[in-house]
Amino acid sequence: MFDSIREVWALTRGSRTYYAAAIAAMVVASCFLYLAPLIPQAVIDGVLLGDSDALLVTVPLALLGGAEYVGAHLWVAALAAIGLTAVAGSATYLRGRWSAMASEAIVRALRDRIFDHLQRLPLRYFDRAQTGDLIQRCTSDVETIRVFLANHVVEIGRSLIMFAVPLPVMFALHPQMTWLSILGMPAIVLFSTVFFLKVRSAFEEADEAEGAMTTTIQENLTGIRVVRAFGRRDHEEERFAGRNSTHRALDYRLYRLMALYWSASDLMTFVQKAVVVGAGVYWVSMGELAVGAFFYFLTAVNMFMYPLRQMGRIVADLGKATVAAGRLREILDHPIESDPTDATQISEPAGALSFESVTFRHDPEGPPTLDDLSFEIPARSTVAFIGASGAGKTTLISLLLRLYEPDEGTIRLDGHDLATLDRESLRLQLAVVMQRPFLYSRSVEDNLLLGRRDAPREELLEATRIADVHTTIEGFDHGYDTTIGEGGVTLSGGQRQRVALARALLQRPPGGAEPPAVLVLDDALSAVDTSTEAAILEQLRQRRGRQTTLIIAHRLSTVALADRIYVLHQGRLVQQGDHDSLMQQPGPYAELWRSQSEPALAEAAPAGSREAS
Amino acid sequence: MSVSFEEPDVPTPSHIDLALWRRIVSHAHPYRWACAGMAGMGLLVAGIDIALPLITAGLIDGAAAGTPLRQLARYGVAYLGLLVLLSAGIYAFIVFAGRISTGMAHDLRREGFARLQRLSMSFYDTNPVGWLVARLTSDCAKVSGLLPWLLLDMVWGSALLVGIAIAMLWLDASLALVVLLVVPPLVLVSFAFQRLILESSRQVRRTNAQITASFNESIAGVRTTKALAREAANLEEFQVRSTEMFQHSMRNALQSAIYLPLVMLLGSVGAGLALWRGGLAVSDGLSLGTLVAFMQYAALFSMPIQDMARQLTQMQAAQAAAERVQGLLETVPRIQDPEQPVVPQLSELQPIHSITFDAVHFSYKAEDPVLTGCSFSVRGGQTVALVGPTGGGKSTIVKLLARFYDVNGGSIQIDGIDLRDLSLDWLSDQLAIVLQDPHLFSGTLADNIRYGCLDATDEQIRDAARLVHADRFIARLPQGYDTEVGEGGGRLSTGQRQLVSLARAILADPRIFVMDEATSSVDTETEAAIQAGIDVLLRGRIAFVIAHRLSTIRSADQILVVRGGKIAEHGDHASLMQRGGYYARLVAANTPQQRSDPRPDRVGGSPGAA
Repeated sequence: MFDSIREVWALTRGSRTYYAAAIAAMVVASCFLYLAPLIPQAVIDGVLLGDSDALLVTVPLALLGGAEYVGAHLWVAALAAIGLTAVAGSATYLRGRWSAMASEAIVRALRDRIFDHLQRLPLRYFDRAQTGDLIQRCTSDVETIRVFLANHVVEIGRSLIMFAVPLPVMFALHPQMTWLSILGMPAIVLFSTVFFLKVRSAFEEADEAEGAMTTTIQENLTGIRVVRAFGRRDHEEERFAGRNSTHRALDYRLYRLMALYWSASDLMTFVQKAVVVGAGVYWVSMGELAVGAFFYFLTAVNMFMYPLRQMGRIVADLGKATVAAGRLREILDHPIESDPTDATQISEPAGALSFESVTFRHDPEGPPTLDDLSFEIPARSTVAFIGASGAGKTTLISLLLRLYEPDEGTIRLDGHDLATLDRESLRLQLAVVMQRPFLYSRSVEDNLLLGRRDAPREELLEATRIADVHTTIEGFDHGYDTTIGEGGVTLSGGQRQRVALARALLQRPPGGAEPPAVLVLDDALSAVDTSTEAAILEQLRQRRGRQTTLIIAHRLSTVALADRIYVLHQGRLVQQGDHDSLMQQPGPYAELWRSQSEPALAEAAPAGSREAS
Repeated sequence: MSVSFEEPDVPTPSHIDLALWRRIVSHAHPYRWACAGMAGMGLLVAGIDIALPLITAGLIDGAAAGTPLRQLARYGVAYLGLLVLLSAGIYAFIVFAGRISTGMAHDLRREGFARLQRLSMSFYDTNPVGWLVARLTSDCAKVSGLLPWLLLDMVWGSALLVGIAIAMLWLDASLALVVLLVVPPLVLVSFAFQRLILESSRQVRRTNAQITASFNESIAGVRTTKALAREAANLEEFQVRSTEMFQHSMRNALQSAIYLPLVMLLGSVGAGLALWRGGLAVSDGLSLGTLVAFMQYAALFSMPIQDMARQLTQMQAAQAAAERVQGLLETVPRIQDPEQPVVPQLSELQPIHSITFDAVHFSYKAEDPVLTGCSFSVRGGQTVALVGPTGGGKSTIVKLLARFYDVNGGSIQIDGIDLRDLSLDWLSDQLAIVLQDPHLFSGTLADNIRYGCLDATDEQIRDAARLVHADRFIARLPQGYDTEVGEGGGRLSTGQRQLVSLARAILADPRIFVMDEATSSVDTETEAAIQAGIDVLLRGRIAFVIAHRLSTIRSADQILVVRGGKIAEHGDHASLMQRGGYYARLVAANTPQQRSDPRPDRVGGSPGAA
């Protein structure tokens, strides 16, 4: 608990001055708020009744020009009371301003830090993490912390001060009365704290029920065609009815709990006030307490009861904030990819690749994904990798990009061990098109230019023409300026692959005139129909010899482009050679070719599933 | 990863659409007693709020005048009694509010969900799932959460304002008029600021949604980011957004920071007026107790005004949500049962004899016709393969048959009865569809197969799985049939999902079977293996098959070439090959040419090179 409170406290570094200023403003505001009722009190006791010589009556009156003057000019007293409130109001404003400055600045820095850290985490982290959970942490958890920082840091200061400031005044007025006024406070604080800790589970259960209900709706609507096709309307409504009423019941329970909380804490507050009123009346009638002082007690009790009732909420929110901070800490403590300072910056390599006994496991206990793999790819040659899914083809590319590090063995680019290279300089030398390429939700053109911001227009058009996507793009409402994804067009799988291909063709290392040394097509045309694919392959064929080109494909038509073909099976290299020589020997390649010689009979392959961009 | 996105933001309306709210309020009918109770509690609490300063005034005057304590005790008892009553009132109205809001949310969701089950597929083409989910969750919550508090604050607030005014007028009319001067500025300031704050918090939410999208993108695109070494550039762009968020949040916080002190100041002006004018009046016989009561009332004013202003602003803010919810409930399904739907009585084994498409015209969008006079008929037991270019209308034909949409012209008949005259439930009982990207529900594999026939036994489920060779991959899973498939079946590969959905369809035992690229992602070996199972399955049924592999198409009883919105060619494989039309050309173009391969039927060379 204390560790996590320290965690939250550590976040405030850099903004503590603002917080201090906000709390100071709060003190000023509180002082003036408590001073303001002194004026009517003094006027009532010292002017209208005219029979008090108490210090708290004579001093304010003296400041206002003496009892007689005030008696003749009551508006001066009224203005003074308003003036005190105005000062208190300005201080309250400053408190709000400064605490917002502090908390918003902290949260902005926190968001930036998480974003940056997230991008630099190794890929293995994302293999294990749930996207939904990560997003939750980056958004809701940050918001939980923000709420606490914005509202409660100063509020805690305020509660303490609200309590501390009027106390001396009250003791000066009437000590016994003061003791009676604060009698109920520990009870209220205790009650509200215990209550909020207890109901936390009720809140969580209600949240979960809501989540379950939402999931049911979401699933039903996503699968509405299946529901319709099987005529399962009643079944679905029944299922939903269960989730819906569970949610209602748990939500209603929350209302009843809150009703209990507010009415009970109100009652405690009221009883406390009644005690003050009763005692006040007693002492006034005994002549021991001035009427004005009695009024002051009433106001003061009203003022500090309310923040005290908030204590429970503050404690509960502090609990939530510490949990949230802990969850963010988990992300931020995970080491990011980092290169030693003396890592080699590689530029303009020729593009010769070699794998030397490379072994890699995705799961440390599982079977190796790549098993003692060795081969060499001469610079500027075109090679293909084939094999069933799970053979390790994509993993190979991931190792090349250093998204993962091999468990054993070495991969070299132009003789450099990849492990000694600066990651960024290495990645900039590779242009990769993935099977399910990711496009950012911004304009088509921006996406194309990601690998080379200053590409001349002709080269951009040349790339989209080779990738056979120019006409498609021109067909969009805003052409190259069309936004991809939310609020724009949804591209089919094939269209996305072709845009990604154009992006890769356009890519240049910074300051380089030549394309990256290595081009990788990782099943990059799988969703493109056969005739388009043929056209694209023909274009790529003409570019042969400019880059080392690695092609991964299921369709053998794609593979025929290669100078050399590697057949992978369960992480091992089982066959290699060119097409003709592989066809001559019995083995998996010839088998595969046979099973696929049954042609696909259509002009267009399926459009591919629609992914969110 | 599901990101629920909100519908495009509409600006806050400047007026309150009473007709709309009346329709919304009609959903509160089952909770009318709770509403009445709520209003009653509003009056009660307002009454007590007004009475308390009066009692304090009586006590103070009594104490100052030296009234014996025994007499003052009456006031004390009344005071305590009112406080207990007030607590009870607070308890009651929160419980009532809970009853109304949770009940209404429940009812709106139930009705909305039921409505969604009945709306036609064209509705889903134009309304993304994310929007619809939001309507049933956050929109319903917004509307139903608003109403009870609106009711309470309106009753309590106006009663309190009127009550205070009456109490003050009764205590001292001229002093009351002076103090009441602060009401108009209070109202003005409250409304203006509530509105400002509402707008700026909307900005905050909008920016926040962008930030969420950025995080989502950074995670979904992490491979691409790394491959393109875009980390620094992405961070720069993110910082632009987080700075924007900072600015909007600050504006929102500053507005709130000004608002409260302003209201406080106006309250103190009221109290100041009471002190000044009241103090002067004391010499004319105004009691001190009355003066204190006035000052308390002056402070009490601001609360109901603030609350009512907030509720009315919230109501404006929620109006868009109310419109969306009410709009959904009032959407009429485009495809409904006719008044007297025909339910053909087929005995257990009796098949459907014919399906006829008669000059069918159809378009999703008016300017873009998909089918223009499409005619064909299928006899009982036949398997029909649909062939043709993407976008030619193959999938549309099966969607029309399933009545996901209605034809724009012509007709579709089953055993001579127009589809539109048949009962929708009956039709869906006859049909099973397996799609290329099949949807599974979260739950176990067994649950998903059972979806085809809810009362199937475990044995039947296993049989169905065996028939399509799904049992092989299921057997390899540690939990077998009890394996959770994840949301949308996400933990399975597409090929595995296709097998499960095939098994599901088999269990449904339909008379009409539709496979739209149903095995496209199943690997070649498995596909060959399940072909036998599928042949068993299709026996005695009418089947529509959309596929790319020639073997599947070749064995069909009838091949329909769908091109340009019409049936361009039909017949079996041999006759179509003979005819030398589109189909024959397609087969030729996709058959690899012979090369220097020793085995003449195993063809090398790439179609790409052709």
